[in-house]
Amino acid sequence: MTSPVKKRLIKFLLSLIVLAISILIIVYNLRDNIVYFYSPSELQDLNTSDVRILRLGGLVSTGSIQSETNGIHRFKINDGNEEISVKFEGILPNLFAEDKGVVVEGKYIKDELFIALKVLAKHDENYMPPEVIDSLKQTGNWQGE
Amino acid sequence: MNNIISLSGNLLLIICLATSMLQSLNLFTANSYTNNNVKLFSTIQFTSIVLAFLILIFLFTQSNFGFELVTFHSHSEKPFLYKISGAWGNHEGSLLLWILILTLFNFLYSLSAERDKLYKNKVIAIQSILIIGFVLFSIALSNPFTLNESPQSEGLGLNPILQDPLLAIHPPILYFGYVGFSLVFSLAVAGLLSSNINNVWAETVKSWTFLAWTFLTAGIALGSYWAYYELGWGGYWFWDPVENASLMPWLAATALIHCVVVLQKKNTMQSWTVLLAIITFSLSLMGTFLVRSGVLNSVHTFASDPGRGLYILSFLFLVLITSFTIYALKSDGIDKENSYSIVSRDAGIMVNNWVLITILFIVFLGTIYPLFTDLVLNTSLTVGPSYYVMTITPVIIILLLFMIISPLVNWTAGKLSNVIVKMRYVLISSLTLVLILSLYFFLFSLTELTIIFLCIILILTSISSGIIYSRKNIIITPSLGRTLSHSGFGLLLLAIVSNAVYSEEKIFDAKVGDTLKLSDNTFRFEKINQFEKQNYNSIQAIFYLMDKNKKVEKFSPEIRFYNDPPTITSETSIVHRLFEDIYIVMNVTQATNSISVRIHVKPFMTFLWIGVILIILGGVLSVFIKNKKINA
Repeated sequence: MTSPVKKRLIKFLLSLIVLAISILIIVYNLRDNIVYFYSPSELQDLNTSDVRILRLGGLVSTGSIQSETNGIHRFKINDGNEEISVKFEGILPNLFAEDKGVVVEGKYIKDELFIALKVLAKHDENYMPPEVIDSLKQTGNWQGE
Repeated sequence: MNNIISLSGNLLLIICLATSMLQSLNLFTANSYTNNNVKLFSTIQFTSIVLAFLILIFLFTQSNFGFELVTFHSHSEKPFLYKISGAWGNHEGSLLLWILILTLFNFLYSLSAERDKLYKNKVIAIQSILIIGFVLFSIALSNPFTLNESPQSEGLGLNPILQDPLLAIHPPILYFGYVGFSLVFSLAVAGLLSSNINNVWAETVKSWTFLAWTFLTAGIALGSYWAYYELGWGGYWFWDPVENASLMPWLAATALIHCVVVLQKKNTMQSWTVLLAIITFSLSLMGTFLVRSGVLNSVHTFASDPGRGLYILSFLFLVLITSFTIYALKSDGIDKENSYSIVSRDAGIMVNNWVLITILFIVFLGTIYPLFTDLVLNTSLTVGPSYYVMTITPVIIILLLFMIISPLVNWTAGKLSNVIVKMRYVLISSLTLVLILSLYFFLFSLTELTIIFLCIILILTSISSGIIYSRKNIIITPSLGRTLSHSGFGLLLLAIVSNAVYSEEKIFDAKVGDTLKLSDNTFRFEKINQFEKQNYNSIQAIFYLMDKNKKVEKFSPEIRFYNDPPTITSETSIVHRLFEDIYIVMNVTQATNSISVRIHVKPFMTFLWIGVILIILGGVLSVFIKNKKINA
């Protein structure tokens, strides 16, 4: 019964099934763990029922940083057109400052408040996250080269 | 004077280019002149690049700001060590380092004894073609010897987070691994062209592959350790694209080292081994492209230039297309007949090859997908670390399972019942140990317990099968390399899982004199020091870990204010204890009367690094161990 051809066919089909299943699992996992990037303008247009974790990037608004003693910080992020209020509990990175580029990761709550779980720091004080440059260019507020 | 230096630097590169071109001729003609002088030419290639590299280091140590590269990446007040390491802490210099290692491997191989001289010359010819590609790149697009249009009086400095002793040696070691696979690649392609892929071929390839693999492992580990104490986030691996870029060739290379051994012992798996050799080096090239082109949005992005990226990308495609064409034309029928039963060591190694390739695919997808959406769909996104953890975890369980079973079964046809007999004591003791652990450490989930259970079995079986006690002395068996690496891997994974579950961190707003509590540990904030160093000012906080009223350990985290370029960095203070690391980092705050302090308790970190060291030691042993018994 088990001719070499049949054996090979079974082997082939079996590996195909394993391959298909593993790719399905991987892609499904990938889809679940993607974190999208938004600028403040894009976030305003977003359907706010989305509770997924996302990233928001832009410039820290002038005079908007308020730090409370219990480690809670409030600040605003803008792209020249729109502004979003952010609340963050934790340590702000060393290079976090007014008018500098920043990317935060967290959840956007309905009343225009972004609860940041992470504030992403870059190493270089002149560094501007590429997504922030892109979004500033889109709103026409990019002043670099 | 600077003109002469710049000229001689370029001249040396051109000498290397010309000799490499001569060497590459051996691939096409049986020219007796080039064929007979391979050793001499390889020496010239290597020496010219060594000299060019020494010139570059000399320029950095002299802070010669007549040169663009020195101006952009150095500063006269930088400590001497970082002036030297500054030579390769940038794009142009690191490329020269890459070429240096390419020619070094070429040179070392030219000295080795190889029976088939024509084959040897082909290997060197292919290696020389790779050298040509990179030297051309260096001369035309990233010349380290470019002069400034007008001499500058001071340099811009080296990024302070790169001013670190570990990061001075991390790139050379990592590159040694990356570039080491170039020789393995050349050996494979030349082997295809000469149709001599067999167990004799594998004998030579084995040492080079293990050498490159060991350096790659050490390079990744150093980078990870650097990130652990320098970035101050408490983690050691972030699934960052730059980290993934080094992990991908490692995964392929790990599959490769196993196949090379199989090929050497059984003279089978020819085409798969060759394919892995090609893939590994291609992934090394891709890693370089990803890191050096700036297409990655990474925490480690240090250099970016689209033109250069395009060159490396074109070169990568050229290498890929050529080598795969040769593979497609020549690999047909090189496999020797090999039938093995499903229960055999052959099958086990094959399964784990596929598991490693699956992990490679997972990492590849996670790294490339954001690039794809950015370029094609114009959407910015990132792939979260949980993607990797969730997808790799089930695959790791399969990997561990076969890592345990494979070495215990025979080649070709084995019996599972034998395995169970061999494992019975280990199985019982591991099970008991895990049961006790699960009672005491109740935070572990079932998956985590499964992994821990398998890790313990892996460590125990590796040790028991690796070392045979004879009457008087311990005999080192050929499998001692495997014993060390496999038990090291078990320990590493054990530490990773326990660390992930039992790590703790807390943030404090602290004033001098405060007492801070994290789980069972009490810390006292003693005082603040301020001092000035050669190229930075520092604020240092002194903390003590207290045991009742006794000071047990001292911590001194710092915030450093560098002058050139003006940057603020946080220096962590870590105390390594056997079962846990305590890790303190502080940050600047808006508030003036207190500082922000983050304290991490990271269990099992010491075991994690011991695991890595064992893996590396196993690799070192495997470079030298022949498949016969050596007396210690």
